[in-house]
Amino acid sequence: MRISSLLAVLLSTPVLSTHLLVNVPSSPQLLFPSTLPASTSATLTTLSHSYCAPLRADNTFSFRNVTSGSYLLDVHAHTHFFLPLRVDIHEPAHHTPPTKKTDPATTTPEVEVWGTFRGNEWANKGEVVAVKKIVEQGKEVWTFDAKPAAGEKEYFIVRQGFSPLGLLKNPMILIAGASMLVVFGMPYLMDNMDPEMKAEFEERQKSSTIGGGAAANPLQNFDAAAWLAGSSGSGTSTPKKQLAEKGITR
Amino acid sequence: MRLPTNLLYLTLSILPSAFAVFADEAYNVDYHYELLGIPQPHTTFFHRPRKDEKATLLYTLSDLGVLGAVNPGVGNVVWRQFLGQDAHSETGFLRPVEGENTVVSAIGSSVNAWDAMSGREIWGNNFGGAIRDLEVLETATGNDEARDVLALFEEGGNAYLRMLKGTNGDVAWEYKDGSSDVPLQVSTNVRNVFVVSLHGSSGGYNLKVTILDPVTGKRTNEYTLTTKADIYAPEDVLLVGANSAAPIIAWTDKPMKNLKVNILGKTGDIQNLPLKESDGEITKVALHAPHLVQSLPHFVVHSHSDVSNRADVYHIDLSHKSIKLAYSLPKLPGQGAISVSSQDANVYFTRHTQDEVVVVSSASHGILGRWPLKLEKGRGSFVHGASEVVQRTADTYAVRSAVVTTDQDWVLVRNGAEGWSRLEGLSGIVAATWAEIPESESLAKVLEVEAESNPLSAYIHRVTRHIDDLQYLPDYLQNLPKRFLSSILPGESAPQKQGVLARDNFGFNKLVIVATQRGRLYGLDAGNQGSIVWSLGAFEIPAGKKWDVKGIWASPSKGTTTVRGAEGEFIQVNTTTGETIASTTPGSAPVIQSTVVVDGPLQKWLLPIGTNGEPGQVPAVLAPKEYLVVQGKNGEVKGLKFETKGDVANPVVTWTFTPPADHRVTGVVSRPAHDPVASIGNVLGDRTVLYKYLNPNIVLVTTVSDEASLASFYLLDTVSGDILYSTIHEGVDTKQPIASALTENWFSYSLWADITPTTDALPASKGYQIIISEMYESQIPNDRGPLDSVPESSSLEPSDIPNAEPALPHVITQSFLIPEAIGHMSVTETRQGITTRQLLCTLPSSNAIVGIPRTVLDPRRPVGRDPTPAELEEGLYRYHPVIEFDPKLILTHKREVIGVKDVITSPAILESTSLVFAYGIDVFGTRVTPSFAFDILGKGFNKLSLVSTVIALWVGVVVLAPMVRRKQINGRWMA
Repeated sequence: MRISSLLAVLLSTPVLSTHLLVNVPSSPQLLFPSTLPASTSATLTTLSHSYCAPLRADNTFSFRNVTSGSYLLDVHAHTHFFLPLRVDIHEPAHHTPPTKKTDPATTTPEVEVWGTFRGNEWANKGEVVAVKKIVEQGKEVWTFDAKPAAGEKEYFIVRQGFSPLGLLKNPMILIAGASMLVVFGMPYLMDNMDPEMKAEFEERQKSSTIGGGAAANPLQNFDAAAWLAGSSGSGTSTPKKQLAEKGITR
Repeated sequence: MRLPTNLLYLTLSILPSAFAVFADEAYNVDYHYELLGIPQPHTTFFHRPRKDEKATLLYTLSDLGVLGAVNPGVGNVVWRQFLGQDAHSETGFLRPVEGENTVVSAIGSSVNAWDAMSGREIWGNNFGGAIRDLEVLETATGNDEARDVLALFEEGGNAYLRMLKGTNGDVAWEYKDGSSDVPLQVSTNVRNVFVVSLHGSSGGYNLKVTILDPVTGKRTNEYTLTTKADIYAPEDVLLVGANSAAPIIAWTDKPMKNLKVNILGKTGDIQNLPLKESDGEITKVALHAPHLVQSLPHFVVHSHSDVSNRADVYHIDLSHKSIKLAYSLPKLPGQGAISVSSQDANVYFTRHTQDEVVVVSSASHGILGRWPLKLEKGRGSFVHGASEVVQRTADTYAVRSAVVTTDQDWVLVRNGAEGWSRLEGLSGIVAATWAEIPESESLAKVLEVEAESNPLSAYIHRVTRHIDDLQYLPDYLQNLPKRFLSSILPGESAPQKQGVLARDNFGFNKLVIVATQRGRLYGLDAGNQGSIVWSLGAFEIPAGKKWDVKGIWASPSKGTTTVRGAEGEFIQVNTTTGETIASTTPGSAPVIQSTVVVDGPLQKWLLPIGTNGEPGQVPAVLAPKEYLVVQGKNGEVKGLKFETKGDVANPVVTWTFTPPADHRVTGVVSRPAHDPVASIGNVLGDRTVLYKYLNPNIVLVTTVSDEASLASFYLLDTVSGDILYSTIHEGVDTKQPIASALTENWFSYSLWADITPTTDALPASKGYQIIISEMYESQIPNDRGPLDSVPESSSLEPSDIPNAEPALPHVITQSFLIPEAIGHMSVTETRQGITTRQLLCTLPSSNAIVGIPRTVLDPRRPVGRDPTPAELEEGLYRYHPVIEFDPKLILTHKREVIGVKDVITSPAILESTSLVFAYGIDVFGTRVTPSFAFDILGKGFNKLSLVSTVIALWVGVVVLAPMVRRKQINGRWMA
């Protein structure tokens, strides 16, 4: 842990100093906190005071000798985003030297932690984060959790290369493909139909078309190859009643 | 809790893909030297990170304060921790905890224990004062409890020895030495703790040894050794024997004739060991002793003269507490390095000389192993090393040593052969500059010759030249299919030839010339993964000092690079080869404060500015045309102009800017030297134009007040000294970095802003902010303000009215909150300035560099409402007060680049691309395309699929054509 503040000032006056232990628990966003890189660090910042602590082997950040104040806690990890926290450290009502045990019946807790939102005023506090006081070997340690905000950081974008399959997935292409199927498939279907059925079908079609018999779908007889070649023409499979060269200019 | 996450994704979705790093370009386009710094002799060792496994890692705490573990097999970094950030002196200490997976470091005022495998902290503690020594307390019985640590501090003129618990770093006991003696070192054997301090004044010290009880920390005894004639500084004490069974303290007399040794705990006894001189005076003496308590109490004295080195091995008799010479290692020419390693009780000395590696046991002079030295290239001689000796069978040994050479490489020598080498000398760069590769001018010269001679001979010359060129034709034809295939197939089209420096069509091949704090210069090839083209030891910088480079400049016309240091030293080298052209030693010229590249009547040159911002007289032929801005004695900012009088030009102060009382100037930034602007206005959605305020003569001055927590920014006109714009921020932490950048018609800066009692009424926030301001000629579109009708204008007389106010720019400002501090800001440069600029910010807490696009940092983003269609057309979207640093904006992506001090950019020939080079401890370089690579076919363009599509169409036509023809003929018959 490094302190870039005026140490001399801190040491010369009997300032209350608190020991904070920020824990990174296992969470759905980060199942194994031990996979965080060794460069992960946390900073506790307020005006003129800044503390920095590296991530420890037991997935905690340890801040010793933190003076009272309202701090912003940021965790900087190369792999995950962490939510910023607001950490308020108060001097307890009964001012006691840090080595002695504080009276547990003090009214305001010494350490309070909330979530905070960047871009909102400081007074806008979020959810309260539970703070536990652990007394180990006669020393008080205040501990709370810091959780990652989202899954792993994605640094790269994969280039969208050209893929024929991707092109086929396009709905426009799918619609075009379906209509092509109908255009080319229908005549064959008609040819292979039972003559009676065919007659029946044609009869029904005739009656159902509202605009008269000219009817049918012009697309039905569309000859793609001929159209591509710039010529019109009726295919061999064209029904005989079809008027030749309709709608196509030469 | 959901709010920030959602906003985060909102920002992510808005960002166009142009700013991101492509997966296939990462690690290909960018390059990174993951460096540690030069390993120090006492903080480098092999250690087993896992108790039960034989594999070792190589640990070091470098001169830059970087603690790292290196895989000795291949030489890659396993983990790193940058500890030197806040330490003022970078003398650190690093000790292994033998038999445990822990290493303990101490630097500055903090002591930390690290997990040797993962690099995570186990515990850390911080004290006042500065660390002087660190030892791990050995226990006699091999109990499993974590070993306690002894830390010696100097605090307020007193020595404090603190025993830190091995489990959590808490203080077990503290011993305060009430006297004003200088604490030197701490040492232990199993029974006692010895604190060695220098007693007396700087005219000569006596050594005071205080003996403490390791359990209670109480003083048991104290004695003084009379050394007044020999010891004048802490450096004169050679060694205070570490955790060996019989720790010693050793020093030499002043003429280096005798080595004096006291076995710690033996009161008043000084043993004289003569140092043998063979050829010339002894210049350097070093002692090496094992650090383990179970090792035999042997040590080696390694003495150097100017031309040779030799060594003597001594044994300590534990029962009589006497020292006797065991044997000597022969004299060998040149420099050498001896390292000690121990395995159980055995102690091995490994001697590295110019041409071989020799391993001897401390017990006898028999050579256990001898290997001829095979290095891949000349690396200078060995300075110091750490080695590991392994006994393979009864009489075969293997040794590997990590050795620092005089060329500042860190080389692993495995049984005499080079295993790997790390270019640690490249760390700690203090200055860098881009340089163009000189154009090959042979053809141009030949053509010039032809043009000048008479037509007939020119014609003959040309024909012969073409016939000569025919010899390259077979090669060319041979390579043709390969070139064709390589241009079609995906992948890096034409891999650059190694070792050939040539310009390329895109302008990616450029050199970067860097100067390190240890007095070395390197030339890096940015187009070839930053490979080292040349290196040169420019100046010898004494240990503990840094080369203070004030200016580095590569002259494009002459092909030379000039480097100027603070003490007046200067060196001029050939940019492409690194040959020294001219140099002067430190002290031969006046001390300089800074340098600036100026444009004289004949040429550009690097003008040194003396102390107090006085450049002094220069010859008239070199007189700079520009207005200069310098900083005076008390930090005030001054404008200078050179006035030519006869043969000389004198600087004249035209204006002075003095910051307000109790403010100090912390930064002055100007527009980059290459800062072209393609468009003089911003076209708005309704087709009107906001004209940019484009004044080349402006600087942004940052002043801070530490007491009042204020930061002010002033935009000054450098010709007239007028303040064009100023702003003040309250509640600014002046200890946090304040970075600023100025380019085109905008400037930006970042700071930590906090709630202040006076701003309680306003919704105040706590956090890092980035503030961006754009300057326009007028706030009304299609209006050019007061300068509208004037074809030319001067800052000195802005209008025809005498003493008129200067034309002030209309400034639009917006601030954004950012998640972390910005250490340094710079802006991308492109050739024409058509490409939008990107703000490059270094993030010291994330060890990264982020490129923030201008579209995000637009102060004209509509606040509190959705943008109108006209604004959308301009690319403005709704203002949101937070900019999250999307990982896709991080130029360094997964790489961790530590200690970046500065980022320099350079335009490529391609307008879309800017070259980026970041330096500090690590070196990182990449290319960025802030407006997408619009003028080059990227890797996304699949040539193979294009060719195959064309072929498929062709095949289709060939197949369908006869079908169609048949059909047409049939159709005619049918009709």
